[in-house]
Amino acid sequence: MIGVLSYLIFFMILALVFGIAVLGLNLQWGYTGLFNAGVAGFLAIGGYAMAILTGPSREAVFGGFELPFLVGLIGAMGAAGLGGIIIGLVTLRLRGEYLAVATFGIAVTIQLVCLNWEYLTGGTLGLIGIPNPTHELASAPLAQNAIFLAMVVALTALVYWGLQRIVNAPWGRVLKAIREDEIAAESLGKNPALIRLTSFVLGCMLMGLGGALYVAFIGFVSPFDFLPIITFQIWTMLIVGGSANNRGAILGAIVVWAVWTGSGYIISQIVPPEFQAQSGAMQAVLIGLILVLSLLFRPRGLIGEKLHVSRHAKL
Amino acid sequence: MRRLGKYVALGGLVAFLASMGNVMAQECPIKLGAILPVSGPMGQVGERISNTGAFAVEVFNEAGGVKNCPVEYTLRDTQGQSAVGVDAAKSLVDLEGVKALIGAVSSGVSLPVLTSVAVPSKVVQVSCCSSSESFTALAQEGKTKGYWFRTYATNRSQAAMGALLTTEKGFKNTAVIYVNTDFGVGLAKRYVEDIKKLGGNITSMIAYNESQQSYRAEVTKALEGNPDSVFLVAFPVDGATITREWLSLGGTDNLIVNNSLRSDDYFKAVGHQYLQNLVGYDSAQPRLPSVTTFNELFQAKFDGPPNGPGLHSVFDAVTVVLLAMEAADELTGDAIRDQIRNVTADGGIEVYPGAEGIKRAKALLAEGKQIRYVGATGALQFDANGDVQAPKMTWKLNGTENKETGYYTTEQVADLIKRLDK
Repeated sequence: MIGVLSYLIFFMILALVFGIAVLGLNLQWGYTGLFNAGVAGFLAIGGYAMAILTGPSREAVFGGFELPFLVGLIGAMGAAGLGGIIIGLVTLRLRGEYLAVATFGIAVTIQLVCLNWEYLTGGTLGLIGIPNPTHELASAPLAQNAIFLAMVVALTALVYWGLQRIVNAPWGRVLKAIREDEIAAESLGKNPALIRLTSFVLGCMLMGLGGALYVAFIGFVSPFDFLPIITFQIWTMLIVGGSANNRGAILGAIVVWAVWTGSGYIISQIVPPEFQAQSGAMQAVLIGLILVLSLLFRPRGLIGEKLHVSRHAKL
Repeated sequence: MRRLGKYVALGGLVAFLASMGNVMAQECPIKLGAILPVSGPMGQVGERISNTGAFAVEVFNEAGGVKNCPVEYTLRDTQGQSAVGVDAAKSLVDLEGVKALIGAVSSGVSLPVLTSVAVPSKVVQVSCCSSSESFTALAQEGKTKGYWFRTYATNRSQAAMGALLTTEKGFKNTAVIYVNTDFGVGLAKRYVEDIKKLGGNITSMIAYNESQQSYRAEVTKALEGNPDSVFLVAFPVDGATITREWLSLGGTDNLIVNNSLRSDDYFKAVGHQYLQNLVGYDSAQPRLPSVTTFNELFQAKFDGPPNGPGLHSVFDAVTVVLLAMEAADELTGDAIRDQIRNVTADGGIEVYPGAEGIKRAKALLAEGKQIRYVGATGALQFDANGDVQAPKMTWKLNGTENKETGYYTTEQVADLIKRLDK
């Protein structure tokens, strides 16, 4: 049974790390209606910032400041936020699919920069030996992972709490107003451009946090970790879980990651060995099928957006 | 409908957990986990590699398995993604209880698996195909704790051979054009270090990104400084584009190319007549009966020759791990790790692939004798970092014919590297 427990801890760490990024996307898309198709790029910024700030120093590569883990986390959020400001200023005047194409392009650009700017990122070889903070706190791998999970759970809870405060505050209602009708919001004296940018940057910071946690947990970063498919995964998590619902975002991360990885486990159990080489294709079909079914039966996600009516309205 | 959905989901979860429980209770068969990309961009390559790995297990089982226990080959797909590969490896180790891991193909997946699963869980990981130098660096820092091995001969010897060829031909000023992947970057950097030690000079180092329409900018830059030769690390399609542009812009036809360009597609795309001064090196198939044995076994099983990346090396990866399990007192990661070195160590009685060879190896081990596995890639000898070397050959084009010009044994290659690393 210890194996099952050990695996579940490992699984939950990755699921919740993605979950934090999904929460960021939820703020952007779910509440503000910003179609950010560049999630992988912001994960990458956070991941590399973590690696550069906390990693060991190497000749011929910038960074390796061996700073404490917490500084790495804050730095990663800062770097992703800064990236968000720059990219947001350039792209946020675009709407809908235009924004999607622009952010997608930027994510690919970021990945290519990671691949080519060897001095900063180590290029294709990546950066090795990034410290996992739990290795100093415990010696048994199971205990290390349990501590890491506790930390990720705490961070997820903190992020969730913060986002709930934000979206339930008047500012959150403005986000939704902009999502539904920007001109109407503007006519009420709100500044949609600034609010859209703020929401975008906050979301990007959370993606950076997710990337940083992933890299610290794995202990290695390479451009290979931030392929465009990650963006698709994060989006799927949000849509399956329930857009514009923070609990839905977390649930979606866990469910989709379980489908994505559990399908491999199930297939390896039921497929006879001689067909194992085809299991990859079967797994892809299974993942697709589950996603399509979930959208057919729960089009608004597992936990969709709660309908809000003003507290002061008499029903 | 909604309620039904909940029950179905709950039932599924219960069945899932129950099936996990079953798996945990088993002792026999012994499980060997494989994490390979059988879908995604590397799917085609990965599938053949996986089939060959499964075949190696089949051969071992024909000889009676490990410790009289059949071996079960359990494959999980990485989809070419690091996070998916890491999860697959962890699930193989924790849920399936595999005793060792084979894989992955891309270094970008193998390395996360190594640092986050294999080393903490104390499970041996043997890759057939990952070429990145990061593994060697990690091993030198002591972070692999010896659990990492690869049966793929690393870039190290390729760089050394390239440098040797260049200087033996008497070239003094060489431009380097290389593909911008972990493979290309590692190889090119080593080459530059080596060539300086052998008395050559580098005029420029130009990286190129794959699948572009034209490489005029890169080629123009590489032409600066009037190189008398060019070292090209590329794959056939892009390599042909680069070579054509290089020659048409007046570059020298003194080409030294990596083994990835030893391909008819490349020669035809450029034109044989322009490549008569081209020289190259390649991993030589060692001239050993064990290699022929493997080729024949493979031919009989799959009805075709073992042409393709990683096939020889995955067969050896699996066989070495299983031999180490047979030799180990108990199936712990530490014991398997130490025995991998034992069953490949210099001075043991040589044993070969195939059911008969494995039977003989097992008999020798039972008598307490030292064995040395000589397999599909020849005699494997792992250095302290888990890397192996392979024999090399040099070649050139003679008209349209691809002609071998020299052969270097594993020992000669090792000597050359020792000389360069001093």
